[in-house]
Amino acid sequence: MEIFSQLIFNSIIAGAVYALIALGFNLIYGATKFLNLAHGVMTAIGGYTVFYFTKTLDWNIYLAVIIGILFAGLIGFSLDKFVYFPLRKRKASNMVLLVASFGAFTAIQAIIAILFNSRFQTLSQNTSAQKSFEIFGGVITQTQLIILASAALIMTGLVLLLHKTRFGKAIKAISDDEEVAKIVGINTNKIIGYVFFIGSAIAGFAGILVGFDTGIEPTMGLDLLFKGVIASIVGGIGNLYGGVLGAFLLGFVENFGIWKISGDWKDAIAFALLIVFLIFRPRGIMNK
Amino acid sequence: MIMKKEILLQLQNISVYYGGVKALDSVDISLDKGEIVALVGPNGAGKSTILKAIFGLAPIHSGKVLWHEKEIEPIPHEAAQRGIAFIPQGRRVFSHLTVEENLEIGGFILKDKHKLNRRIEEIMETFPILRQKKKAKSGTLSGGQQQMLALARGLMTDPKVLLFDEPSLGLAPKIAKEVFAKIKEINEKHKTAIMVVEHNIKFSLKITHRAYVLNKGEIVAKDTSQKLLKSDVLEKIFMGKLV
Repeated sequence: MEIFSQLIFNSIIAGAVYALIALGFNLIYGATKFLNLAHGVMTAIGGYTVFYFTKTLDWNIYLAVIIGILFAGLIGFSLDKFVYFPLRKRKASNMVLLVASFGAFTAIQAIIAILFNSRFQTLSQNTSAQKSFEIFGGVITQTQLIILASAALIMTGLVLLLHKTRFGKAIKAISDDEEVAKIVGINTNKIIGYVFFIGSAIAGFAGILVGFDTGIEPTMGLDLLFKGVIASIVGGIGNLYGGVLGAFLLGFVENFGIWKISGDWKDAIAFALLIVFLIFRPRGIMNK
Repeated sequence: MIMKKEILLQLQNISVYYGGVKALDSVDISLDKGEIVALVGPNGAGKSTILKAIFGLAPIHSGKVLWHEKEIEPIPHEAAQRGIAFIPQGRRVFSHLTVEENLEIGGFILKDKHKLNRRIEEIMETFPILRQKKKAKSGTLSGGQQQMLALARGLMTDPKVLLFDEPSLGLAPKIAKEVFAKIKEINEKHKTAIMVVEHNIKFSLKITHRAYVLNKGEIVAKDTSQKLLKSDVLEKIFMGKLV
């Protein structure tokens, strides 16, 4: 019973983190229709910004978290403005944009490794002092509860933003038909820039949460990117709700998949799920 | 007393290239306040490219676009703010949005929420079918309804100029007739200047005041629609006798 409860908690927590990655990834994909691989490295940017401000400069942790989120958003926004926008203007194909995003990912990851070294670090001040709660025999930490609460808050906020604001409707219009969105008077490049900011900030926040829960390392973005992309494809790429659904499905399959076997199989199970969907339902759960 | 015409939109000496292929060759076109002008010609004549050039959606190689006799740089989202609306070919509605949301997006440049809601109400009075379907996803509408929605969305900002690319394309003749009747009604009621690209010459020349005949990116004839209907220039163009 304890193992079962713990696996459920682990699945939900993993699902929440993947959902945050998938939300930003799908938001950007919906607006631009290209796979922005640099999205993964935003998690490391968020994590290392908090690390720098709290561990090196000894700043207030809450302030550091806000700076980390904003900085990740700003890097995402700048990538669009200085790399992707000029390429879109030259009518570059989605493949060119994908390669450019991979280049940006690798470059930023290398810079982080140079600035902070490649060692695994943690953002928590004192891991042993962290509060934890026992529910139905399973244990969940305070940080993990914060992960769940903030994931729920961000998902709700994003849904409200998309459905209740002019800005959100403009994003949906761009996602549907960018050219017609321009025709009706939407400055699509400006909106896409903001989408990059929001999506990257969410990924940065996910990186910070992971940093508090487990830890950070310069390469952390790759694993999280893979999981976010798998969640997006499984749920239906470009579909926000699909991404969330895919994320939780991935979280459950991954964690229950290693119930009786070694945890080293986690990634293999995740990619097996991806392959199954690519073969039998390539458009994902939500996309018709 | 002779009334001076008010020229709203002009294209002077416009040439457009797609890669190395010339799509428009030194084209001069004008649209006056309150008139309906047709652009007719065979496939590949460059009719749609003219509308796209006005909106900055086609790469202009040389020439000028003038708005109220002043040169402008054609940028898509700025054209809407000037009072030019464009309904592109193929009933391109935002298919994942509802009818109401499509209209809201059509009025994106209207910053005042009350003004926007009032305008949606006015538009729904003009297009009663859209009121019935206002909560339906526009992708589920019939072809004719989608075209009406595209037209309604274009009218959300109460534009001075409406550019309409192939209104009857893919529609049954009866529905196409309704669309053309609506175009005529909008022009007469609101004095909206309209430039319409249409492959169905009879339909378009019946409701328009003037027309330009294009062939291979050049204007080969321009006159009042009535005179063009009586002349043999259209027959020559479509039979390939005029090159």
